[in-house]
Order: sequence, then C-alpha cells, then structure tokens
Amino acid sequence: MLHFSRWKITLILGAIMLGLLFALPNVLSEKAREALPGFLPSQTLNLGLDLQGGAHLLLEVDLKDGVEKTLKSELAGMRAALREDRVSATLRIRDEAIFVTYKNAADAEKGVPIMRKQSVAVDANALGGGGKTLVIEKLSDLRYKVTVSKANIEYLSNRTIEQSIQVLRKRIDPSGTTEMTLAKEGAERILLQVPGAKNVDELKSVIDKTAKLGFHQVAVTDDVVLRLCVEDDQCPLGKVAYPQKNGGGYMMVFDREIVTGADLKSSSEGLHPQNNYPIVNFVYNARGARKFCDFTSKHVGEPFAVVLDGEIITAPNINGAICGGRGFIEGSFTMESAKELSLLLNAGALPAKLNIAEERTVGPELGADSINAGKVASMLGLVGVAIFMWLSYGLRFGTFANIALATNIVLIAGALSLLGATLTLPGIAGIILTIGMAVDANVLIFERIREETQNGRGPINAIDTGYRLSLAPILDANITTLIAALTLYFVGSGPIRGFAVTLSIGIVMSVFTAVVVARLMTATWLRHARPKKLPI
Amino acid sequence: MFDISLVRHLPKDTKIPFLKVRLVAMVLSVLAIIASIFLFTTKNLNYGLDFKGGTVWEFHLDESPTDADLGAIRDLGPGLGLGELAIQTIGQSDKDKVQAIRLSVSKQPALEGDENDDKAQQVALKSIQNAVVELYPEVAKTENTLSVQVLGTKVSGELKKKGIEAVIAALLMVLIYIWFRFEWQFGLGAVAALTHDVILTIGVFSFTALEFNLSIVAAILTIVGYSLNDTVVVYDRIRENLRKFKKKPLEQVLDMSINDTLSRTILTSLTTMLALLALYIWGGPGLNGFAFAMIWGVFVGTYSSIFVAAPILLLLGVNRKGPQK
Repeated sequence: MLHFSRWKITLILGAIMLGLLFALPNVLSEKAREALPGFLPSQTLNLGLDLQGGAHLLLEVDLKDGVEKTLKSELAGMRAALREDRVSATLRIRDEAIFVTYKNAADAEKGVPIMRKQSVAVDANALGGGGKTLVIEKLSDLRYKVTVSKANIEYLSNRTIEQSIQVLRKRIDPSGTTEMTLAKEGAERILLQVPGAKNVDELKSVIDKTAKLGFHQVAVTDDVVLRLCVEDDQCPLGKVAYPQKNGGGYMMVFDREIVTGADLKSSSEGLHPQNNYPIVNFVYNARGARKFCDFTSKHVGEPFAVVLDGEIITAPNINGAICGGRGFIEGSFTMESAKELSLLLNAGALPAKLNIAEERTVGPELGADSINAGKVASMLGLVGVAIFMWLSYGLRFGTFANIALATNIVLIAGALSLLGATLTLPGIAGIILTIGMAVDANVLIFERIREETQNGRGPINAIDTGYRLSLAPILDANITTLIAALTLYFVGSGPIRGFAVTLSIGIVMSVFTAVVVARLMTATWLRHARPKKLPI
Repeated sequence: MFDISLVRHLPKDTKIPFLKVRLVAMVLSVLAIIASIFLFTTKNLNYGLDFKGGTVWEFHLDESPTDADLGAIRDLGPGLGLGELAIQTIGQSDKDKVQAIRLSVSKQPALEGDENDDKAQQVALKSIQNAVVELYPEVAKTENTLSVQVLGTKVSGELKKKGIEAVIAALLMVLIYIWFRFEWQFGLGAVAALTHDVILTIGVFSFTALEFNLSIVAAILTIVGYSLNDTVVVYDRIRENLRKFKKKPLEQVLDMSINDTLSRTILTSLTTMLALLALYIWGGPGLNGFAFAMIWGVFVGTYSSIFVAAPILLLLGVNRKGPQK
C-alpha cells in the first residue's frame, strides 16, 4: 500500500493541479479572470437563484382552452361536411365533447362514416400515425359523443408548450440578451428562471396576458338579445358579447375575426397625429392588409371592434376603405401601456393561458446575505475541524489529514466549476457537511494504524496494514452515503439537487484525498524520516 | 514537538459491555419510536410552504417594525378575505440591519371556475402586497422585498409525494447494497437502525413544531447516509472479527467490534458536529432547520449504529458456519 510508482505520483499530482486550475477562477476578480490566457479555464461556479437573487416561476399551460378551441373547429368542420352530404343532425358542445344527434336512422347511417372521416392521424409525420384525433362513442342509435383523443391532447399540449415558450422568449427578452432559462418541465409545465430579475410584477404581467387581438364586425342587436347573451349565455349563433374597456357595458360582435394578431407584421407605440394621445401603430402583413381592405370597403360607415383578451379596447367607425396596410389603435393608453401592448403584439399571442403553479423569488439582498453566512460558516467550520484534527493527531498526522481536507475543498470547487454545476444555498450546506464528514476516512485509517501499533506492529507495517484494512469500510461507508445522495438528486428538485451534487462530489473527493493523497504524503514521510515510533 | 496528539490519551483497548444494556436500549428506542409515531399522528408536522402550499412574503420596511406595525399588517388579512395572517420578524444577526417581516398567507381555495387553486394564490399575493404598500409605500421598492414564495395545492402535493418517495427509495437501495455486501441479517439490521433514525427525526420535528420543509427531507436523507456510514464501519469490523475469532460467542464479538471502532465513531461524530454547529450558528436563517435536523441526526445515528444495528444481529443470529471467504 505504501509504494507509489512514478507515473502514479505524476497522475495524482496532475489531478490535484487540474482541480486547482479549475477552482482558481473562483477566487480571482472579474478583471483578473479576463486577463487569463485563453487556454486556462475561466469558468466560475454558477450561483443558484437563491444565492444571486432572481425569479423562479413554474408555469402551467391551461389546456382546457386549447381543447375547447379544437372542439369548436372540429364542430365547424363536421357540420360543414354533414351539410354538404345533406345529412340533418344537430351538433352541440358540452362538457368538453361534441354531441351529435341525427334526425333519423337514414341520416345516422350516412352521417357516421362522414363523422369518422373527420378523425385523422394526430401527427402525419409520426410513426404509425400516432393515433387518431377524435374518439367517437355511440350513445344510442341516433346520438353520438365525440371527444378529443388522448394522443391528440398530448400532441396539442406539446405544441402549445413549444409555442408558448417561443412567445414568452420574444416577450421577456426581445433583444435576446438576457440570461434566462425557459424550458419545458415535465409534461405540461414551463420553467422560467430569470436571474437578478428586478421587477417580478412586470414579468408576471407579461405572462398573464395571452395578447389575443382580433378585429370584429359589430353586430346590430337590441337590449333583450344582448342581456340574454351576457347573463344567460344564450347568444345568437356566431355572435358573442364582450365588455368595453372604459365602462360602456357590453357590445355584441361577430365571433369570427376580420383580422387577428397573427395578421400583423409589426407594431410600435406612437402618438396620435392630431390629439397627441398615445396609440399603438401596426403594419399588416400582405394577407392581413388584403382582408382588412376587403372588409372596410364593404362596410363603410359601420363600426368595428378591436378586442384584446376578451375586452373591447375601442370600436371606431369605418370612414372609408383602409387599404394602406397600416393602422393604429387608440384606446386611452398611457405611454407605458401602449408600449407594452405593442411589445405583446410583436411577440404574438400565447396559444393558451398560463397559470403560475410555483413562484420563488429571491431578492439580491437576501442572496448576498446567504452567501456571506455560508462563507463565514464554512470558514469557521473548516478552522474548527482543522484545529480538532491537529489536536487529535498532532502536527504530523493532523497536517496530513488537513492537507487532504484542503485538497478536498479545492477539488470540490474545481469539479463544480468544471461541470458547470449550480451552487445553491443547500449546496453550501452540503459543502460544510462534507468538511465535517470528509475527515472520517482519515480518522478510520489513523485509528486503525494506532490499533495495529498497539498490537505490536512496527511503524511501516502498522501504516501499511492500517491503510489496507481500512479500505473496505471506507468504500462501503461512502458508497452507501453516495447512494443516499444520488437518490436525492434523482428524486429531489430545484435547490435540493444542488445539495445532492455538492454532497456527492464531496464524498467522492474525500475518498480520493484520504485514501490516495494522504497516503502519498504518509508514504513519502515514512521513506524520508524512517521513524522508530509513530507520533499518534 | 509532535506530542500534542490527544488521541494517545484516549483509553486504550476499551471493553465497555454495550450489549449488556441492549434491553434498556431496546426499551428506550421502542418508547421513543412509539412517542414519535404518536406525536406524528396526533400533532402531525408543522409543514412548511413546500408541502402545504400558500404564500410567504419576506420584506422589510425602512425602519425595523414596531409591534404596532406588525399588528396593523396582521389586521389586513380578514378585511381582504384572506383569513388569518401569520406574521413574524426575522432576526438579523447584523445589528445595523433593519429587521425583516415574514408574512404567511395560508393556502386559498380555488377561484370560482378554476380547476385548481394556483391562480387564487397569485391573487392573494397581489392583494396583500397592494394592501401593505398602501400602508407603507416604501415596500413598493423592489429592493425591500427579500423573497416571495407561492405554491398551490398541485405543486406542494407533488413535492410531498416526491419527498416520501425519495426516503423510501433511499432505504430500499441501501438495503440492497448492504445485502449484497454482507449477509441479509446485516441488511435488515442496518435498515432497522435507519428507520429508527428517520422516525425519531420526524418525531423531534413534530415535538418541536419546527418547520418541516424540503431541506428537512434532504437532511433526513443525509442522516440516512451518515447513520449508515457509522453502521457499516461497525458491521465491517464485526465481519472481520467473526472470521478472526471463530469460537468466541457472538455477543463478545459484537462488543469487541463496537469497542474497536469506538474511538473512530466518537472522533467522526465530533468533527461532523463541529461543522454542523458552525452551520447552525453562522449559516444564516435559511439553513437553520437543516443544521438542527442534522445535529439531531448525527446524535441518533451514532446511537443507533451501536445500540440498534449491532444488537439486532444478536437477535437474528449470524451464519458463522457457511463458506467464509
């Protein structure tokens, strides 16, 4: 156990040097780091949001919206297909399903195959089609229930999440310069982490708005019909009522939009040319320009409603055909709200509503406090343990153990920097705990050496036996702790993972430093000093 | 000059008859376990936000809050329809610093028409923040907010489930490893000792009503690791001594092995305690609960590897005749 070949020594020292090199940038100032030559690592520890401050939001996609929308368009498609073949049936959406009732048996016989045809492969590109979009159940001879299939919901949810991520990225970080995490988490969630976020309220308001914009034709109606629609949810076919932003009650409009937010090319905030009120300017894309031009030329003198997220912002009259492909919305904006709306319009509408399922925000002050507390605690813990080891094992063996401990800390810092791991508050706890537990391997070995000395072995023999016999319990003990730490990593979440990471790395490094590095020191000392008696 | 080595003054070759008191230890352990389970079932745990859901907002005013301030903020709850608010000041170790306020809003029921209560929590946060800002305009400054945490039923329920799964998974994995490395009696003994530690830790959190959150689950898993570390070292020595002294009665072998490893057990407990004390005293409020759980865990973990893990081998018996490699 005490012989080290030359290449082994080189390897050990090389590993330590490498650890030092990777740990080094953490103690340098930013300026000094930049001055490092390119071949040297300059990556530092990533600080978790709980240490550097920032917002952590777990967003959940509200799929109910998407399912409803899908049902609506399926219903429209089905109704058109049935009508084309002159099948009489009534179709109604209730409880997230379409209920189809045929007039008589002949209609049902003709209609069912048409209905089935509407159910197509979810994803044409997927292997084996990936399942059908709709599930059709027979309730009675004339009644059928159509629901959206599981495969389709899954496909829908994936697509919705991907689109939401794209839209959010454009909204939060239009310039693409902010450092943030925006990723899918699990099946139906989006993880959004913005380090050092100054104003979480701003962030939340951007998430909160779907920014669904639509220009609708205003429907002529009377009070009775309007009240029935608003209060009893019984609107005339193809029409809906929306509240007006500035009071003024509800207004009935056609459900189908003339143009939507998707028909806009770009938008920006500006001032009204005449009265200087803030407005939102926009430019249509080619399709949108044509559609709006067609509509306005046919409906001169009538009003149209600008609806944003279920609210009528403004409902101006059409004074003449608008065909220039440009326009603006006015609706008692402030400069800020005009700016926000144009940003939202540029990023596009969210495909579904997003709910905040978890929020954890840490201010920079608390983060800095935590770092300082962690620094103090780990320094004092380190000093305490080091003094304890010196007192217990004397300057010679105590120093071996303490050098091993110091090497351990350096290697942990190096490994964390190299892996690009994130240091969290629990992670700091893991490091401090490692400081206390890392000397265990050395204690085991030293105690065994003492025992073997008492049993009458000479120094070299006792040390050799001590190292040899301690290896099994050290490995067993550390592998079991590692199992617990790894379990924590795979099952745990967020900052707790940071703890699992530092603890795991600490365990591995402590075995290396105690069993290999301290042994190398002991062996070197033995060869040179050739002691007759061990100082422990 | 290397003479300060204090370990040399430790009593050599101790022969403490640990197994003699095994009955006392067993009664003690069983009583403690029963008490823990009793506390857990009657008093339950003081679950933190992670497992309970709701809102916790930590902020400070420009001055340290007076009792009148705290009362005024506490009184906001019922008016906003948020129920009772829990409010406390967070002690700052730094005397120059303004004391912060930790305000907890219990989990709110789902809003009408919503499938889950996520949105209701956000609404509650917004309304309490607005109300506090109205009383103390300085709170609107972002730097006056230390932290905000909001969780609904869904996420907190998942975290709870995951936490329980983690502890059970860790115990199972460890059982398998010990079984693989030793004989089955050892595996069972180790898991008995660990279960003992886990139950007593939950018991102490139920008794003290300290907040039980995610980091305590991490502490429990680490206690499992630490206690196991201790147990394995003793077991390893038992295995070695069983081979060395084939004729000695099992009880003597167990006692001898515990005594052989005793100095190591004590020293390692002490160094770990030292580090944990530093963490407890200086590590800041965020790590207080974790450090407390670990200190307790080191204590019961050390106890259990001597007084639970070893005596169980005596109870189960060890196969000493089979092929010993």
